[in-house]
Amino acid sequence: MSARSRQRLELGVLLTPATLFLIAFFVVPLVIMMVMSFLMPGLYGGAEWEFYPHNFGRILGFADPMFEEFDPVYLAIFWRSVRIAALTVLCTFLVCYPAAFQVARLPERWKNFCLFLIALPFFTSLIVRLFVWVLLLRQTGLINEVLLDLHLIDRPLDMIYTDGAIIVGMVYIYVPFMFLPIYASVEKLDWALVRASQDLGAGPVRTFLRVIFPLTLPGVIGGAIIVFIPALGNFVVPEVLGGAKVLMLGNLIEQQFLAARNWPFGSALAMLVMAAMLVALFIYVLTEGRRGSDPALGL
Amino acid sequence: MSDQIVTLENATRSFPVPEGHRIYALRGIDLEVSRNEFLTLLGPSGCGKTTLLQAISGFIDLEKGRILIDGKDVTDVPPHRRPVNTVFQNYALFPHMSVGDNTGYALEIAGVPSAERRKRVAEALEMVGLKGLENRRPRQLSGGQQQRVALARAIIARPKLLLLDEPLSALDKNLREAMRIELKTLQHELGISFVFVTHDQEEALTMSDRVAVLNAGQIQQLGTPRAVYDEPATTFVATFVGASNLFEGSRDGNRVITQDGIAIQSNRPAATNAAVTALIRPEQFSLVAANDQPSLDIDVDQVVFVGSSFELLGHTAGGRKLTAMVPASGRQQIGAIEASRKARLYYDPASVHLIATPEAAE
Amino acid sequence: MRIARTLGRGSLALYTIIFFGFIYLPLALIVVYSFNANPINMMTWSGFTTDWYLQVLGFKTKISENALYLESTDQLLAAVRNSLVIAASTTAIATVLGTALAIAIHRYYFFGKSFYRVLLFAPMLMPDIVLGIALLIFFVAIGAHLGLVTIIIGQCTFLISYVFIVVSARLAGMDRTLENASADLGANEWTTFRKVVLPQLMPGVLGGALLAFIISMDDLVITYFISGVDITTLPIFIFAMLRRGIKPEINAIAVMMLTFSFVVASLGLYFRSRQK
Repeated sequence: MSARSRQRLELGVLLTPATLFLIAFFVVPLVIMMVMSFLMPGLYGGAEWEFYPHNFGRILGFADPMFEEFDPVYLAIFWRSVRIAALTVLCTFLVCYPAAFQVARLPERWKNFCLFLIALPFFTSLIVRLFVWVLLLRQTGLINEVLLDLHLIDRPLDMIYTDGAIIVGMVYIYVPFMFLPIYASVEKLDWALVRASQDLGAGPVRTFLRVIFPLTLPGVIGGAIIVFIPALGNFVVPEVLGGAKVLMLGNLIEQQFLAARNWPFGSALAMLVMAAMLVALFIYVLTEGRRGSDPALGL
Repeated sequence: MSDQIVTLENATRSFPVPEGHRIYALRGIDLEVSRNEFLTLLGPSGCGKTTLLQAISGFIDLEKGRILIDGKDVTDVPPHRRPVNTVFQNYALFPHMSVGDNTGYALEIAGVPSAERRKRVAEALEMVGLKGLENRRPRQLSGGQQQRVALARAIIARPKLLLLDEPLSALDKNLREAMRIELKTLQHELGISFVFVTHDQEEALTMSDRVAVLNAGQIQQLGTPRAVYDEPATTFVATFVGASNLFEGSRDGNRVITQDGIAIQSNRPAATNAAVTALIRPEQFSLVAANDQPSLDIDVDQVVFVGSSFELLGHTAGGRKLTAMVPASGRQQIGAIEASRKARLYYDPASVHLIATPEAAE
Repeated sequence: MRIARTLGRGSLALYTIIFFGFIYLPLALIVVYSFNANPINMMTWSGFTTDWYLQVLGFKTKISENALYLESTDQLLAAVRNSLVIAASTTAIATVLGTALAIAIHRYYFFGKSFYRVLLFAPMLMPDIVLGIALLIFFVAIGAHLGLVTIIIGQCTFLISYVFIVVSARLAGMDRTLENASADLGANEWTTFRKVVLPQLMPGVLGGALLAFIISMDDLVITYFISGVDITTLPIFIFAMLRRGIKPEINAIAVMMLTFSFVVASLGLYFRSRQK
């Protein structure tokens, strides 16, 4: 066998199983879901093979006149999800940036140790990390206990089952996602530029605003994207920390699939999440031009 | 108003090393920089010259001693408040700003309105020969152009003093030589003092009003280029600046006798030390005798043709290595020397400089 | 002036300590309170006990004789077993496929390679829930029974990407000249692969495997949708318990899960740092 065709054979052996697997179990399911979002919901679950734009219509404004009036609740849920996800990104950023900045400037050994500490929670189960906050934020939770014991409050605070609780939970979970890109960005910073800025008369604050932050922005944007996307479609956190009161896109989708059995509608909602993800990625790629390349994150 | 723009008194700074002790980058340095002066800090790597520069600009704190700039004690003043600007070795141009924004940065920070800023940026860029390049980005410029932007950026705010940290080391030879002239001209035009750091002694000699030769955290000599070259204060300066033949020995009348029996005549006055080192630069040797000049005989190991001169590398009978530099016009003698492998080197006792050998070991 | 600077740096350092405290304090708290002897109010300390752990592990304890708890222990053990079986299977499959992909992309040229490489990031970027329901629809559409197999397949879709990234990073850092030396000394391709490439690649492969294992054990969302009614995994078990109402045993289970994750992750990260 010639070297060339043997190479082809090797390549084939290596590439084919995984590719087939991914096509069969990744691409195809997504395509089916996309198709499903345009189908009419069957009476007892499942779907009819008929083009039905009203799955999207229910959300966007043109509902099926046979069944309902347009209920803006879906849009409201969508916007609430976007809002909460955005706030999560903001809070995660505020929490992470100073710490990532500091860690990037530590000597080698400390740096690695801190990175280890950051990576560790990433490997624990989401549900465990959320569970903690239930215990902390409940009416009978630790925070209320302590505050009551210290007589700082008379009645327990209403913390859980609010938007705030969800944000706290999501921030807690997504901190490692935001920390690492920012850290990578700060590490690459050329400190001669900081000195140059100070040399030219800019104090620490001006230097940060004019030099440090703009140059670490790529990391911030990267982190924002990889926090925003999962935050948007999250249903576990709103369920555990938001209870029945706060409904987000993720909960809605879950309901449609498991309770309401309206799969086409659920698919349409999922498409919405995917659309948001694509928009976010698009923005990322757009800003790539200005930034140059970003190191791939290998965890 | 004093004559000095910068005064350092007993500047001392040390750093801890992994082995446990501390090394002293600056050992009690006293230095005064005059107004409108081009001063070069010259020395090998690790001598403290960059540390000294950073102490003046404020990026390094002094353990002991103080710094005065234009009469004011700035020892505790942070870098962004000192009226000093620096041209960094790798230029440190802000990659996310245009050339114009880079140049005008100091003015922007100082709150100068944008119309005036634009005008002064244009002036500064023209002054360094980069007219019209305001809208380019640093990465679109060549090394030489980037360096000029760094210059423009540093001078635009009319600092009292400009510090340059080996700014020419990243440039190729021709560009470097051209920039030397330009920097010297610029300094005259601006009328502010330049403190220039380099390890290249040719740069130091060609550009400076005065040179400070540093080694191991101390200034070995501070003087005009000629003084440093013709009359080095220590053997370190003698060997670092220019090539040298050193004869360490003890004084006996107007001769210096070395341990291997060589006698060097010198008419120069020396310090009261009996122990001195005589210095004869290679170019002070001649193959032609004049007026009863003393001489040294050597066995010639190598004759190197350098174009405008010949370099003779040889050793005395006692094994001491010597270098001589003779003009190319002495071609005929060179031929004879190459044949016989021996040479007689004449020198003028009046120009043999004597360095007092320090009594205690360093 | 210097005081201001030191203050600035000091407060940043202080903030960083608080930051790490924010991350780890809650976890430390549930470890502490898992020993709390209060059966009613979990966060009011009434004494030290290891009973909750014993309870979970199946021993009868003083704290409660309610039969319900025994049942939940059986369910718990089933969940743990399922999680481990799934994790082992997915790790095996994903490691093999992911490593093969990494080698293919790194060492060979083919049409659309860079495009494909970018596409491999898609499963990781895709929100869990979208992937989960897509898989659910798919499996139902082809009439598959939702159970262990569907979970394993579903998890592999994104685990392959994780393994791919880890092994790729390792491949990128490998010295090709060693293989040239091996060939020069007479080894054919397969031998070179076996004796030179594979040993060097091993840390990356192991790292990828470890990563896949942990992510599989911890996966909640995707497994949730495609597990059907028969199969429960550990994360889903806890999730369900949380929905029904918090019992102190959850605390003990959570701490055990935490410990397990920490130990495995520490090992993994430790090996990765040694390979560098």
